[in-house]
Amino acid sequence: MSEHLEELETLLFDWEAGELDDLGVARVRELLRGSAAARQHYLRHQSISAALKLDSESGLGGLAETIQLAASVPETAVPTANGNPHPPSRWKSSHILAAAAVLLICVMAGRILQLEASGRQTGKNSAESPGAARNQAQEPTADGIALLTRLVDVDWAENQIALEEGDALSPGKLAIESGFAQIEFFCGATVIVEGPAELELRSPLLARVLSGRMRAQVPPAASGFSLEVDDLKVVDLGTEFGLSVSDAGADIQVFDGEVELQQASESRLLEAGKALRRSQDGAYNEAEVTPDLFLDIAALESRKADQKNQRYELWKSWSERLRGDRRLVTYYAFEAGDWHRRLRSSLHPENRELDGAIVGARPVSGRWPEKQALEFRRPGDRVRVDVPGEFGSLSFSCWVKIDSLDRWYNSLFLTDQYNQGEPHWQILDTGQLFFSVRHKADELSGKAVKKKAHQPILSPPFWEPSLSGRWLHIATTYDAGSGKVVHYLNGAVLHEEVIPDKLRVDRTRIGAASIGNWSRPTRTEAKFAIRNLNGSIDEFAIFSAVLSTEEIQEIYNNGKP
Amino acid sequence: MLATKLSLWRNNCNLSVTSLEDMVKKAQGVLGRNEVSQAENSEGFVRHLTENQTRLYGYVFSLLGDHARAADVVQETNLVLWRKIDEFQPEKPFLPWAYAIARFQVLAHLRDKSRDRLLLDEELAEVMSSAAERKADEFESLRFALRPCLELLTDTNRRLIQLRYLRELPIAEVAAQVGRSVGAIKIALLRVRRQLAECAQKRLAGVQR
Repeated sequence: MSEHLEELETLLFDWEAGELDDLGVARVRELLRGSAAARQHYLRHQSISAALKLDSESGLGGLAETIQLAASVPETAVPTANGNPHPPSRWKSSHILAAAAVLLICVMAGRILQLEASGRQTGKNSAESPGAARNQAQEPTADGIALLTRLVDVDWAENQIALEEGDALSPGKLAIESGFAQIEFFCGATVIVEGPAELELRSPLLARVLSGRMRAQVPPAASGFSLEVDDLKVVDLGTEFGLSVSDAGADIQVFDGEVELQQASESRLLEAGKALRRSQDGAYNEAEVTPDLFLDIAALESRKADQKNQRYELWKSWSERLRGDRRLVTYYAFEAGDWHRRLRSSLHPENRELDGAIVGARPVSGRWPEKQALEFRRPGDRVRVDVPGEFGSLSFSCWVKIDSLDRWYNSLFLTDQYNQGEPHWQILDTGQLFFSVRHKADELSGKAVKKKAHQPILSPPFWEPSLSGRWLHIATTYDAGSGKVVHYLNGAVLHEEVIPDKLRVDRTRIGAASIGNWSRPTRTEAKFAIRNLNGSIDEFAIFSAVLSTEEIQEIYNNGKP
Repeated sequence: MLATKLSLWRNNCNLSVTSLEDMVKKAQGVLGRNEVSQAENSEGFVRHLTENQTRLYGYVFSLLGDHARAADVVQETNLVLWRKIDEFQPEKPFLPWAYAIARFQVLAHLRDKSRDRLLLDEELAEVMSSAAERKADEFESLRFALRPCLELLTDTNRRLIQLRYLRELPIAEVAAQVGRSVGAIKIALLRVRRQLAECAQKRLAGVQR
């Protein structure tokens, strides 16, 4: 940061503290007049001051306490099913805003009375009711020119970040050592790449091929899609073709339709059933068409199905082994079959008492076609469970596909009452994983009521819209002895933090609880806070012990789709 | 929709909101089509105004640098906007109109010689007003971005921010509470502010990427 900006910061700081004299004010003005950078810096500084001020006005004193307050008195802090949930920041009532609101309501009332009394029309502003609120925060955006839609037996090349199915691809290099990758360009062209191969993605319409064998399927809508090899450009005119590039040269084979080969100012057409080989020195020779050497989408699909089936089998045998784990408190494998609105407990030995009751949630296809998942979408959707007993440490594990995080609290697993010792496991609208165990006793009087109810443990935000619709493994462990909480995403540690001794809970309990939602069904009121998950769950387990990082990784590796 | 938002305020004011809702309904029942559309218009106006309160606050505060005054000026701006409701056009963006009126109020405030000195003068406020508008547009995103940033601070630093900005204690008081010198607290707070600004900036950039 430049000297001037630092000086400005210090001056603004003194101003806020009420310690800036006339000379100082003059200096601020001088700096602001002098440079646009200083003005930008000033505005940024003031915006943050204003933001902090509004949060202080909310009377909640910071995020942690906000959460605590909301979690312990949810029926007032969370919008109800009759209303429309908003991000908490916007409607947190501040004194300033409350004053403005009072004023508005008074004026509004006056206005309507006036209208009613006079009944006259001014007619100046004609009809149409205003459209939906137009002041949404920025529209979220994502990067990419193509999607990686299938991976079969892929080994990534060195220096290449390992990617996953469903990842968006930005312009840049993509290199695989072996296996097959299916890339769908945003223009509509699909390219199946066989390793070893190296490509450089340029745009939704263009990629440069450094080496490897690939087959492009280009429907008419994507016509114009091109692959470049050195100074040669292969332009597709709505067809299917193969391209193989090695040190020896480049093979271009047209299976269907035609392609145009462009080089410098020359261009030539190549029709279906024809192939050309360009040698290193640039000479062209006719060659034979060998479509079988280029794996097509259908063949890749069937390979993928084999792989999926293998994965499913892998998971199944692992799941069978897991069922006997003595540390399991409850386990739902979500196997296919007739459920009759019951989520069958998968524990060995069998314990039907632990079966869950499905309310609203719809059975949908799970991670693999062979198994099911439950989709939670409407505000009432949930699975009711009752887990008796008292525990110490706990570990939670579930496979979840999140469509979006549009509630303040997006439930994974919440006990009904949130009494002492009960855990709450959920995801905030900020994309942070949230775990808490209530420490405060349930019935308190006098000063003790104001004591902190718990120490929530929040991960940094992990959610981004591009994760939408993908199966994620989420786990959290709680060590009752040390207070240590570890959050995991896809087998990797997301966050760890220790609950201080004074808020640590030794004995945990579950009792009546919901998967995918939260409520107090025993209450007679029809209003309820909306905390349902907007997404699907496929496999859910609670252990009465702290699972190690290796064990969480094992769950992930054996369960990833 | 409006009723929900109004009910959220119920805790903060003693006005009976239910009776207001009744009035809206009644007005819509008694009045003819035009009057109904006008009631809808008023509803749209109130919605825009309430939804944009924090942005207006961010805007006005940026130019005044003083919380008490900013609150006053936002109030005045609300009133002026209300008086001009006939100029409100639901199909046009609300904010540019509101900013224009807020800017006028800010300038009037700065012009008033009887007041104590403020940070900017009229001329500077004028120069910076459009940049301040752009900043205020993203004010909600900034507030949203700041929340996780506050979480990421070390406990000590978060406490400093809490004491100074959320509980609004004077620096000397903060220093006393944490048992460090005033100088040390100043340096630490400056550093944390910078850290917050950088974190929020990164998060905002992340959203826009």
